Order: sequence, then structure tokens, then C-alpha cells
Amino acid sequence: MKQFLIGVFMTMAIMGVAFANGEKELEFWTTETQSDRLARINLLVDTFKATNPDFKFEINVIAIEENDLATQFNAAAASDTLPDLVQVATENAVAFGTQGLLNTEAATSMISNIGKDRFYSGVLRLNQMPSDDAYYAVPFHGWVQGIWYRADWFEEAGLNPPKTWDDILKAAKYFNKPEENQYGILIGTSAEAFTEQVFTQFARSNDAWLFDGDGNLTLNSPEMREAIEFYAELAKYTPPGPQNWRARDYYFQNKLAMFFYSTYIMDDLALAEVAAASLTSENFEELAGSSFDPNLVSNTGMVPAITKTRDAGYGTIVSLLFPNTEDDERTAAAMRFAEYLFTPDAYISFLHMAPGGKNPVLREISTNPNFQQDPSNIFERYGPDKMAEIIEGLDSIETFSIVDGKRIEAASTVFSKQIIPQMMYRIIQEGESIDSALERAEAEIRKLM
Amino acid sequence: MVKSGGVSRKIGFAFLILLIVLFSVFPFIQALSTSLKYQWDWGNPSLIPTQINLEAYKELLNIGQEEKSVPESVKNLLDESDLTKAQRDEILAKYKETGDVFPFLKYFRNSLALSTTGALLSVVLAIMGAYSFSRLRYRGRGLIQRGVLFVYMIGGILLLIPLYRIAVAMGLLATPVGTFLALLIIYLVQTLPVSLYLLGNFFRSIPYSIEEAALIDGLARHKIIWRIVIPLSWSAIVTVFIYAFMIAWNEYLFASVFLKSYDQLYTLPMGLRALFYSKNAIWDRIMAGSMLTATPVIILFMAIQKNLTGGLSEGGVKG
Amino acid sequence: MGKSLKQRESTLGWMLILPSTVIILSLILYPIVSNVISSLFKVSLVEKDTFIGLENYRNVVSDINFWKAALITFVYVVATTLGTALVGLGVALAMNRQFPLRGFIRSLILLPYVAPVFSVVYAWKFIFDPVNGIFMDLTVEKLGIFSQRFNLIGNPDTALWIAIVFSIWKYFPFTYLMILSRLQAIDNNLYEAAEVDGASRWQQFRYITLPELYFILGSIVLLRVIWNFNKFEDIYLLTDNLKVLSIYTYFKAFVGIIDLGQGSALVIIQFALLLVFILIYLKKVLKW
Repeated sequence: MKQFLIGVFMTMAIMGVAFANGEKELEFWTTETQSDRLARINLLVDTFKATNPDFKFEINVIAIEENDLATQFNAAAASDTLPDLVQVATENAVAFGTQGLLNTEAATSMISNIGKDRFYSGVLRLNQMPSDDAYYAVPFHGWVQGIWYRADWFEEAGLNPPKTWDDILKAAKYFNKPEENQYGILIGTSAEAFTEQVFTQFARSNDAWLFDGDGNLTLNSPEMREAIEFYAELAKYTPPGPQNWRARDYYFQNKLAMFFYSTYIMDDLALAEVAAASLTSENFEELAGSSFDPNLVSNTGMVPAITKTRDAGYGTIVSLLFPNTEDDERTAAAMRFAEYLFTPDAYISFLHMAPGGKNPVLREISTNPNFQQDPSNIFERYGPDKMAEIIEGLDSIETFSIVDGKRIEAASTVFSKQIIPQMMYRIIQEGESIDSALERAEAEIRKLM
Repeated sequence: MVKSGGVSRKIGFAFLILLIVLFSVFPFIQALSTSLKYQWDWGNPSLIPTQINLEAYKELLNIGQEEKSVPESVKNLLDESDLTKAQRDEILAKYKETGDVFPFLKYFRNSLALSTTGALLSVVLAIMGAYSFSRLRYRGRGLIQRGVLFVYMIGGILLLIPLYRIAVAMGLLATPVGTFLALLIIYLVQTLPVSLYLLGNFFRSIPYSIEEAALIDGLARHKIIWRIVIPLSWSAIVTVFIYAFMIAWNEYLFASVFLKSYDQLYTLPMGLRALFYSKNAIWDRIMAGSMLTATPVIILFMAIQKNLTGGLSEGGVKG
Repeated sequence: MGKSLKQRESTLGWMLILPSTVIILSLILYPIVSNVISSLFKVSLVEKDTFIGLENYRNVVSDINFWKAALITFVYVVATTLGTALVGLGVALAMNRQFPLRGFIRSLILLPYVAPVFSVVYAWKFIFDPVNGIFMDLTVEKLGIFSQRFNLIGNPDTALWIAIVFSIWKYFPFTYLMILSRLQAIDNNLYEAAEVDGASRWQQFRYITLPELYFILGSIVLLRVIWNFNKFEDIYLLTDNLKVLSIYTYFKAFVGIIDLGQGSALVIIQFALLLVFILIYLKKVLKW
């Protein structure tokens, strides 16, 4: 035993020494955890290294699940091992930024290196700090949320596409037949981020804010209350119990008429179509009576913005951030690599990992012919006009964090603490009255501020 | 001990066994069924797939996946970049190599190494410690014996950040071997208290008279442990081994934080998570992944269990 | 001679226990101290921590949701502990008898315990899925026990009970293994003698088996209480929003922005709650 322990400590000591002479390494954390996407990012790293022989650092690409990011970031910050570059949803980047963990000068100067006017302005605004002309992080790519629906069912029933509140509710009621195991609509009804994403779009389409431009809490406004009431009503036509985005499976089984989802679904729809095409006509007969529908994909329509008193779209921008490592050499190197990712060929190669789900934040890329020639043939299916409408949607994403162009930091904290989805959960699942749920949510928010 | 009861009694007993088995394995039947269904068949509540789909297994085990074609955008990138032919080929070769959906064998190997080493160390240390608790008298024994269990009262996430800080400060995480060791020690800390406690209890139930005779014959303590105590408590030792093994086999939080820089060390739970959170339609793959994760462990334990029951039913243990 | 033997014994005792003690202490002491300290501070990652005394504690005990979570945790712990012990005992008694395929079946029922939580949780979700699951299909469509489909796992009223059944299912094999290994060590002569005296099966169980199992059952209960009290992953992954203490803590201190001070205070309060229970239990049941 003694020998064993001595052996262990010896090994440790040797390792420690070996490391001291080791190579310099940059850490790039990405939330792309799929191995094929990691392979693509590593290919970009290799190409970058090969074309920049003077670049002194190794780049270690580390996949981190988005839900683990706060834990990982805190553990790293507590032990002075922060990464040099992180790819993460903008709301999270802002939350880290408000804790003072980010090198915002690096992000700001990188944006001006690339050229501020090449970005969609709405996208930049989501990364903006309270002081003018400074940014928490560099926007990288984004997705748009919309209602996806069975265009053929709607047509047959003579219903309008689900754009206005009235049309959405009418269709949800019409198609909701729980006794036949068919449901009207999927909105988020669980206590998690998806619920907030869908709800925000409804709230904004009724011009409701969480905070006003001066940072006063306006959760209990008539507009917000109306949105909550409407949302709770729609929840009745959603499959039973708390549901999140995973319930989109029901749509693929012909059990759902409408569902909220990001443009990532385009790639899935394309995959489903490929899978359908691989079945021969012989198989079709066997499948008669099952829930298989070969025409599902071509009969799917999409409405990106919904309307009550105004049009509102929703989406998420993913940004690149530079943690505050206080090591200028490393940050400069990370910036150099990050800027490489924005060069057209590298950028398009990155975006094509998930056609539809990853859309450019640089205006000129969206019309680049190479970009439009995507591997899932999405541009071909939806047509350049519809795609332009969807990508332009990135420019008008609305969140509670930016009011009249002003940054409301408290809204990011409320988002990261999941207070709104918890409130909706209590109303929808636990049957709490809207009054009391609002009161509790307000109290929780005030405690945070 | 079994008496030949009436026929109805036998049927009742068989029914009971069937019930126990069904209760235990039903979720696995569900997982197996889903892993064999096509996406369009997931809505079918029946356990029998309309059509058998082996794609998920093939994909996860990387069987018959024809060489991945290189996407247009990648070709374009490489063409437009200023690369020599050799550089280009090297980059492409590496790209093709690393695209496995789920490097099952790698994850499996890592999990197995981590769990087996951790469990063995835990068992060895616990046998020593438990023997000390149960047979030897010295000052401070009671305190240590009772104290160890309190380790469990402080849960995972709060231990995580301080321990990570220590590991970084010691320079352990700078190398793969150091990281592996750090994680091993953490698992050891998580399993040792229970291993000590359970084995201590078990050793105490072995009559001291057997050992006494050996002591009088002049047998040294370590030989007593080796020749008498271990064989007599074999079943308990195996149980403790299984316990310690499972803790490491299933652990995610510490593994994800400690191992993140070394993808060659990733474990099965990390792989399963990554698979799960990929946003594509994946239920068949998730369930196939689960089945693949569970199967080897079952085979392993079946082997252990066979030895175990053989030894015991032959009447090895008699008070 | 007697003295030196005692001394030798003592030295050996310490030597054998030392490796375990050193490993445990070196890794546990620092986190515990560091948690106690940070529970008194408002912890910040960039600036200096600010001392706020017992504010973190006050925050917790004044929150009604904390006490609700404590109550749910209590129900969960009691039900799962008893359930696991009873099912484990029953299965162990059954598996201790001879029957065909016993070796195979003994291994088979270990499945729930050895499969990663992460993978079995989703099989459970599949079974109880309100739209696609086999359970709703059987009870609503085939047997007509319920009039309409509902979300058994998601519904706040039933989630707790599903979580309890899940926990029993997942952990009874460990209990069963422990009990079985003890059962096999019971001297058969005892039963034979009892039979000669004309004792019934129940009497044999009551007066021979149960006393032999008393301590192992006591230990199992103790361990399960400690484990299930802090159980996080099983419940978090299976149910949508079942607020036991560990999940309450997670949302309060570790979602989004991590508040280490608050988290430490919460854990220390939970520790105190558990400690009271354990001490009573040890005194009364295990007679330490």
C-alpha cells in the first residue's frame, strides 16, 4: 500500500513538471456537443492553423452542454482556469457579463474590426451593454422561432394560417380532439426555458414588457395579464401535462396541428423526408393505418411572427464571448481565431452544420450563393424569399432585456433564474390564480434586484 | 430449506418470481422496443415495432457507415484556403476519422477503467479499514467509524467547486493521467464510507471464534484477513464492489467538469448526455445508447454472480 | 505480553484505517470549511466577498417554499426508504429459495440498479407518455380504467408517487443484494432445529430470520435515508417540477447565476435537519 501511494505521488509530481514545459493552449468552449459538429469545428481549427503558421497556440475545442455552462464557468472562474473563447446563447453571455466575468473591450473591438455595419443592427443590439458602443459579446449566428403547422389540414378546414391570436386560438380549438389523441397546438407548459421563449413572443405581440425603459417592473400590466390569460387558454389545447419542445414528436406522428419551434426543425424535416423516401411503395402498404404520412413534410407551413396589437418575432442569437482572463496575449490570439470564423468560407462551412438552425448575423452572407446552396436543400424547398423573411427575422428579435434600445440587466437575471416559466407552470399546471402567481413572481423579482 | 409444497403454492411462487422479473425489466423492454423503431413508429404504443430498424445500433457502433462524404462548404473552404496538397489531405483525413456519432468503444473503455479501478481500490481499502473497525481495539475507533458516514451529508454540487479548485492548484488537471487520478480519488471518497460501513457490519457478524483459533495457531493478521475473513465475506465484498462500481459508472457531474479538456477520457454518461441533447430526432439512438450501456454491465455481473452463488450454495458459509 | 499485544493491535488498527481516513479527510475537510465560511458571505466571482452574517440563513428559513420542499422531501424519503427495504426483503427471501434459472434471474433483477439513471429515466417517460405511452394506451383505450389521457409523471399531484416508485424500482436490487448475502450466512441448523420444535414458517421468519437481519436492515434504512435525502438527478430528470429540497436548492442557488453563499447556507440547514434525524435513529434503532 505504502509503495502504491508513493508511486501515485511520484506520478503526480512528474506530471506537474511535465506540464510546466507544455505547449500553450487556447480553450474554446462550444455548446455544439454533437460529434459531427465538433469534427467540423476542429476542421476549421486545423485549416486556420495550417494557413496561419505564425499562430503559436494549440486550440482545444471543448464541448459543453448548455445546461452545464453556469456550473462549468463558475468552477473555472473559481480556480482561475477560464477558457479563452466561448460560444454561447446571448442571454447567458449577458448574465456572465453583468457579473463582470467578460472582457468586453475585446468583444467591442472585434465587432469594429469586422465592421459594425456588416452586422444586422437588431442582432448587435441584443449584445449591447448599458453604456453606448460597447458590447458584452460578438454575435455569431442565430435561429428564429415560429409556428409550424399542417398547411393541408388548415386548408381543408378553411382556416387562416396561424398568425393572429384569434386565428391561432380558433385553429387550436378546431383541431384539438383529445378523445382521438390529437391535439391543437404545442406551447411550452413546463417550468423551463422553452416556455419563456414561446410566452415572450405572445407578450410582445400584445406590447407587454417585463420592465419599462426606465427599469421599472411592469409585470403586472393589463397587456401582460391579457397575454398570460391567453397563454393559459391555449395551454388547454396542448397535450396533457407539462410539455416542452420534445413534444414536437407528436407532430411527426400526425397527432398535432401546430407547434412552436426554432428553425432547427428545418433540418429535421429534411431528414424525415429523406427517411420517408427510403421506404419503398411496398412498405407503404404494410404501413397503412399506422401514423406514417409520407406527405407530412411538404405539407408543413411556417409563420415566423404572430400578431395581436403588433407583429412580434422571437429567436436566439448565439454569441462568441471572451472571458476576463487578464492575459492579453491569449485574448488577442482568441480574437484572431474568432475573426477567422467570420471569413466567408469558414463562416458558411460553420453555418452549414445545421441549415435553417444556424443563420448568419452578417447581412452579406445571407445572399451569398455558396450559403444558399445548403446541404439539406432548404433554400430550394422554402425558396429564397421565405428564407430571406426568416433570416431577416433575426434583425427584429425581441426580448425583455432590451427596451427602446436600452439594456435592462435585471431582465437577464430574471431570465436566467427562470422566474417567468415557474410562474406559468404554477398557473397552468398547479391551477394557481393569475393574481397570486403574478404577486409571487413580482416578489421574487424584487428580491433579485 | 425448500420444502415441496402443494402445486398451487408452486404456481404462486412462480407467479411471484415472474412479477419480480417483469417489474425489474419492463422499462428495459420499452427501451429495447423504442431503439428498434423508426421515427414514424414512435407514436405506436405497442412494444413490437411495425418494422425493425437497426440503424440506431449501426450508427452508434459505427457499422456499415459508408465513408462520410465531404460537404460542399468544406470542400469549398479547403479549395479557397492557401493549403498545400499534403496539408489538405491531412486535414481531410482527420475530419473523416472523428465524425463518429457516438464513439461507444472509447467511452466504454474509459468508464470501465475508471469504475473498475475505483471499485477495486475502494474494496481493498475498505477491507482493511473494516477489519480494523470490527476486530481491533484502539482509541479513536468509534469516532472514525461514525464520522465517515457524514461525508454523504454534503451533496455533489457544493463539493464540486472546492474540489476542482484543489485539483487545479495541485496541477493535477494539467495532464490526462493526473485528471484520471483526481477523479478516481473523488470516487473513492464517495464510495469508501459506505464500503467501510457495510463491510464493518458484515465482518462483525462473522463469529470471532474461527479467527481466534487461527491466532492461537500463530497465523499473522494479514493472513487471517486473506485466508479467513475474505472468503467468508465474499458475497458482501462483491456487493460492495458492485456498489462502488456503479457510483463511478453512472457519475456525470464531476466527470463532466474534470474531464472536459480531454476528450480521449470522456465516459459513457457524458457521451449519453451529449447524444441526448443533440436536437435531432434521436429517441431510437438514445434508447440504443442506453441498451448498449447497460448490456456489458449485465454480462459482467452475471459472470460475477455465477461465481458467487456457486461458492455459497456449496455451503461455504456456515456460522 | 498482554500490554504489548494490545499496543500492537492498536498500531495495526490505525495502520489499516489510516489510508481511508487520510483520503476522506483530505478531500472533505476543505470543502466543508469552505462551505461554512461562504455561507456567511455574499460570494462574488470577481470582487471581494462581502460578509453578511446570517442573512443567507434568514433568507432560507423565511421562505415558505423551503418548508414545503422539506415536507415533500420527508414524504419522499420515508416512502422510498420503507418501500426499498420491504421490496428488497421480499425479493431476497424469494431468491434465497431454489428454483430453475435462479442464477440468471438473480442477475436480471440487478438491471435497474446497474443501468445509468440517465438512460432508464427516459424509458420510464416513454411508458407514461400521455400521448404515445403504453400505460395510457392500456388504461384508457384498452381497459377503460380512466376516461381520458393524462400526464401521470408531469401532473404535480402524481409526480411525487411516480418518483417514489421509480426510486424503489431503481434501488431495491442493492437492498436485496445486501439482505441476500446476510440470509445466506444464517446457519441452516437453526431452521432445522425450529422445524423439529414444530415452528411454522412465519414463526421461523419472525424468530430466526428477522433477528439475524435486524442490523443489516437497520443499516440499509440509514443509508437510504441519507442518500435519498440528497437525491437530485433521479428526481430532476424524471419529473418536471417536483420540488424536493435538493431541487429547491438547485433552483435557488445554482440555476443561471450561481450564488455559492446561498447554496452553502441551504446545504448546511439541510445537513442540520438530517443530522437530527440520524442521531435519533442511531440512538433508538441501531443502539450505537
